[in-house]
Amino acid sequence: MLIKKNAAPGNAFRQLASPVARHLGETMDRRAFLRRSGLGAGAGVLATQLPYNLIGSADAASPAAAPATGGGEGEEVVRRTVCTHCSVGCAIDAVVRNGVWVRQEPVFDSPLNLGAHCAKGASVREHGHGEHRLKYPMKLVDGKYQKISWEQAINEVGDRLLKIREESGPDAVYWIGSSKHSNEQAYLMRKFVSFFGTNNMDHQARICHSTTVAGVANTWGYGAMTNSYNDMQNARAMLFIGSNAAEAHPVSLLHILHAKETGAKMIVVDPRFTRTAAKADYYARIRSGTDIPFIWGMLYHIFENGWEDREYIRQRVYGLDKVREEVMKWTPDKVQEVTGIAEEQVYTIAETLAKNKPSTVVWCMGQTQHTVGNGNVRAMCILQLVLGNVGVSGGGTNIFRGHDNVQGATDVGPNPDSLPGYYGLAAGSWQHWCRVWGVDYEWVKGRYASEELMTKSGITVSRWIDGVLENPADIDQPGGNLRAVVYWGHAPNSQTRGAEMVEAMKKLDTLVVIDPYPSATASMAAMVRKDGVYLLPAATQFETSGTATASNRSLQWREKVIEPLFESKPDQTIMYAFAKKFGFADELVKNIKLVKDKQGWDEPEPEDILREINRGTWTIGYTGQSPERLKLHMQNMHTFDVKTLRANGGPCDGDYFGLPWPCYGNPELKHPGTPNLYDTSKHVMEGGGNFRANFGVEKDGVSLLAEDGSASKGAELQMGYPEFDDVLLKKLGWWDELSDAEKAAAEGRNWKTDLSGGIMRVAMQNHGMHPFGNAKARALVWNFPDPVPLHREPIYSPRPDLVDKYPTHEDKMKFWRLPTLYKTLQDKVRDISKEYPLIMTSGRLVEYEGGGEETRSNPWLAELQQEMFAEVNPKDANDAGFRNGDYIWVESPTKAKLKVRAQVTQRVAPGTVFLPFHFSGWWQGRDMLEYYPEGAAPIVRGEAVNTATTYGYDSVTMMQETKTTLCRVAKA
Amino acid sequence: MKPRFPLRLPAAVAALLLLAGCSEEPQVVQYEQGKYQGKADSRPWEGGTFNGDKAAWERALHERVRSQNEYQRVE
Amino acid sequence: MARMKFLCDAERCIECNGCVTACKNEHEVPWGVNRRRVVTINDGVPGERSMSVACMHCSDAPCIAVCPTNVIYHTAEGVVLHDKDGCIGCGYCFYACPFGAPQFPNGPAAFGARGKMDKCTFCAGGPEENHSEAEFEKYGRNRLAQGKLPLCAEMCSTKALLAGDAAELSDIFRERALRRGKGFEAWGWMTAYGKDKEEAK
Repeated sequence: MLIKKNAAPGNAFRQLASPVARHLGETMDRRAFLRRSGLGAGAGVLATQLPYNLIGSADAASPAAAPATGGGEGEEVVRRTVCTHCSVGCAIDAVVRNGVWVRQEPVFDSPLNLGAHCAKGASVREHGHGEHRLKYPMKLVDGKYQKISWEQAINEVGDRLLKIREESGPDAVYWIGSSKHSNEQAYLMRKFVSFFGTNNMDHQARICHSTTVAGVANTWGYGAMTNSYNDMQNARAMLFIGSNAAEAHPVSLLHILHAKETGAKMIVVDPRFTRTAAKADYYARIRSGTDIPFIWGMLYHIFENGWEDREYIRQRVYGLDKVREEVMKWTPDKVQEVTGIAEEQVYTIAETLAKNKPSTVVWCMGQTQHTVGNGNVRAMCILQLVLGNVGVSGGGTNIFRGHDNVQGATDVGPNPDSLPGYYGLAAGSWQHWCRVWGVDYEWVKGRYASEELMTKSGITVSRWIDGVLENPADIDQPGGNLRAVVYWGHAPNSQTRGAEMVEAMKKLDTLVVIDPYPSATASMAAMVRKDGVYLLPAATQFETSGTATASNRSLQWREKVIEPLFESKPDQTIMYAFAKKFGFADELVKNIKLVKDKQGWDEPEPEDILREINRGTWTIGYTGQSPERLKLHMQNMHTFDVKTLRANGGPCDGDYFGLPWPCYGNPELKHPGTPNLYDTSKHVMEGGGNFRANFGVEKDGVSLLAEDGSASKGAELQMGYPEFDDVLLKKLGWWDELSDAEKAAAEGRNWKTDLSGGIMRVAMQNHGMHPFGNAKARALVWNFPDPVPLHREPIYSPRPDLVDKYPTHEDKMKFWRLPTLYKTLQDKVRDISKEYPLIMTSGRLVEYEGGGEETRSNPWLAELQQEMFAEVNPKDANDAGFRNGDYIWVESPTKAKLKVRAQVTQRVAPGTVFLPFHFSGWWQGRDMLEYYPEGAAPIVRGEAVNTATTYGYDSVTMMQETKTTLCRVAKA
Repeated sequence: MKPRFPLRLPAAVAALLLLAGCSEEPQVVQYEQGKYQGKADSRPWEGGTFNGDKAAWERALHERVRSQNEYQRVE
Repeated sequence: MARMKFLCDAERCIECNGCVTACKNEHEVPWGVNRRRVVTINDGVPGERSMSVACMHCSDAPCIAVCPTNVIYHTAEGVVLHDKDGCIGCGYCFYACPFGAPQFPNGPAAFGARGKMDKCTFCAGGPEENHSEAEFEKYGRNRLAQGKLPLCAEMCSTKALLAGDAAELSDIFRERALRRGKGFEAWGWMTAYGKDKEEAK
């Protein structure tokens, strides 16, 4: 057949493909090109790819020098980007030729991933094929999706939303943003929706780590991972609870297993024997939803044996006495009764953590997605405070975030309760941001329905369906129900109560989906509607540039790899187009440069958006990470130490990789970023710190400030002190250290609102003091429903006897604008476990991510997990009369039924059923293929677990309960 | 006629068989063009990238192997 | 002379399948052909261990011995390659292989019609000119000729899967094993050295 090299094009497919390609246009062309992309180890590739430590010096390899649109004919360019799946932040070198992404190379230089990838990261190049993406704007007409033009889409969607705004007020439109957006896009979205005039917006963080952010920030200041994946190499013991890092954050295991290899003890506590548990030294199986009793059980032994760090507690912890009272009620027998973990196991784990310090803890959705989520995470914080592990390298609470930029979107994105940087929604916060945006505060106020609604938290993404379905009189906003929802980079199957969601979708006036893979929402809507649904193709993060904040708070700059495929547009471009339609385009980009894309659309430049973020986000130190500094880091990754993340020499000398926030002051101050929060062993200008004085200076006559000797290294005042403002600066006699311009800007302001950064500079650089003060961490969070975390049984509990002993909260009438049920519902379903005896819980698979439409559309991943399944213990399978591989029905108390394959395994205990949450595209036994826009259905479809999940929300953040509900199983 | 040593023949056969093992041709041969029926292949350092510079190729590979050992960057 | 080998560290492999998709990505391997896969034993119970498996590039490769058309060969670097043009798709190599490495795509696919055998090439291409179009279409990319190692190993999430010169891999693995400081509790120890030591524990 093939004898000579020049006979090679005899392949029938390609002979056919070439002429066809000319007619079919770009798609076919690219495919054909990809097939041939094997050649071309031209000089360009070698210069950039081979001696990896030379990247940055060779011209073609220098990311900054490369033109944005591919090289010349046959020339390959390398663009450095970051994986868009989880929060580890794995760097990727994308090799692009003729504008086509032809290869993906490991970045061994990256201190975060050292070239490593999981299945998802190793397959991101498939985005450059994108055959299952939405290719052009579409509209639902008579139950079928039809192609429309962008112009028509913007006009029709814009007119519909403006009409609703006119008729029912701006709060009748709900905007669901995204943790998949870059910081710049997420930030612009917050601003964009504010100018539309509502706080009804949210994103994935609500249903991911909102309880963590609220619980942890209220304990000690900032709601984020305290240390880093890398720093776990310094730990001597690690406790994973409610985290399956091996599947959810696979590359983190590079650091974790390294630590284990050098002697750290690894403990996993989980209802499932996860793949993480398979790697652990010690595993304990816990009943889902009983984390607090387990943690109190550990603290019981710690207090009994005097393993607590008394000096640390005295200096840096407030309110532990009250916690201790509660803890001592949890005697080992009670702990065992509730959690199912035996005394000796609890003792062993507590002893291991106490005697192998520094010890760290890791938690994820297993702790957060509960009705007591905020209590779970605070109990973990208390455990670490008692052991003196916070602010210590190798210790801390290592909270692994989910999406690639969920940390960033939480920090500066579309949150219903806060402006960027956790400024909140008070009038002063609005005034601060209006100054940054260069717009008139009164104008913004005029965009809202009222000043009250401007300062009131919006509805959460976990409850938008109730915003549509609830009796309008019971909704705490004058306009009543939501009439339109915009899904802008969010999956519908990640929210609970899917069966009710389709009812909500049916009732909506307008549903808009902006996404590269909008298909789950599209198909659910088309199942119940005939019209009023619009799908707009967004570009992926590989088709634009911008920053993403990894879980460890490091920011990384992504270069644009390829031009947007098909007719897709980057989110910031779409936002600007809608802003023009809505009439606030000029206000939106007052300080932001516009650049024209190839089709002549205006794109707000990501660099400029980041600079605006830098100018305003003082609270959490997003001020020092200028695009220039971040780009320099991306090009000099090899100069950073893997364990400390600090650059040793080179152009970034002294910086921590990605300038992990807080990176205080303006970029000129050259703050290096903060690798580990609250670390008093370092000077504040070297990334040191202490707990934040954010809750006043005293409570009930007791000082909240830290005790003497607890300030960070080099602080001029070695004592507790409040946060800095102009008054304190004057009192201390340091006011004159400000320049005249700084004085003018700082007068009447504090470190958070002084746009000159002068207060911060003087406090930090001149006096080694922390701008946010030095206080104690709060073991007692008096402003929460349970100041001391209390165990409360899940609403759908398998143990009626324990429901009586540990009941849930009282109902709340106005909670994030909605009535919210607790006790009445729990009482009503107290005995439902007789009919639904099995605990239903959900979690991740390594191959898929989030709602899964994107990853299930990637053939390289889809091939590895071709069917939705449920893990059932052999005992339950035998009792129900089915075998491994059978189709079964999993039915929840909502009566929704899921048809899935049975995976009979001891991974779960008798009484527990586990379902992965990445599937969608089946509806209660039926394939929804016919409802998908043509050509945009993912390769693998299956039942979404959340079709069947039940009611239940956290009492602080409205986090949904996904991890503990009930079900029954039967052979299908 | 009965053989005087009834076991001699089987022993000789056995010895022959055993020795045959020593002279067996190796079935897996190092690649040499002409010794197998397929097409000729070039060495990794031949052609475009290294232009026959085997030492450079070996150095490059050595670097890549080291990249797989994170202890090189982490202590 | 370097002798190329894969080594998978079962203490580190977390069954993330990164190696599998890296391979698909680098060589555009079609659906249904798995040059590499991850095998797990004791799934879901204590003792669960995973191992990434592809062609092991055996020193004394049974596939070479049995190939009736004699098109499988060993390169000087120890990589087992084959000439697809001479492959008759008989599947004999598949029977001989202890690891199930040879794959047989059905019908016209990227790696040849008539079900010619396809397998891991150690990212070393095949008997065509290095980096040529023909080489890519039939065998995938030739990373080795670019001075790089197989992408599956280079991208392994925990650096469990290693590839390269056997002596250098041994050094890496030895260092890890020493640090782990494990004796008979290391996985596989009992299988290798017997039950009596466990009792002595």
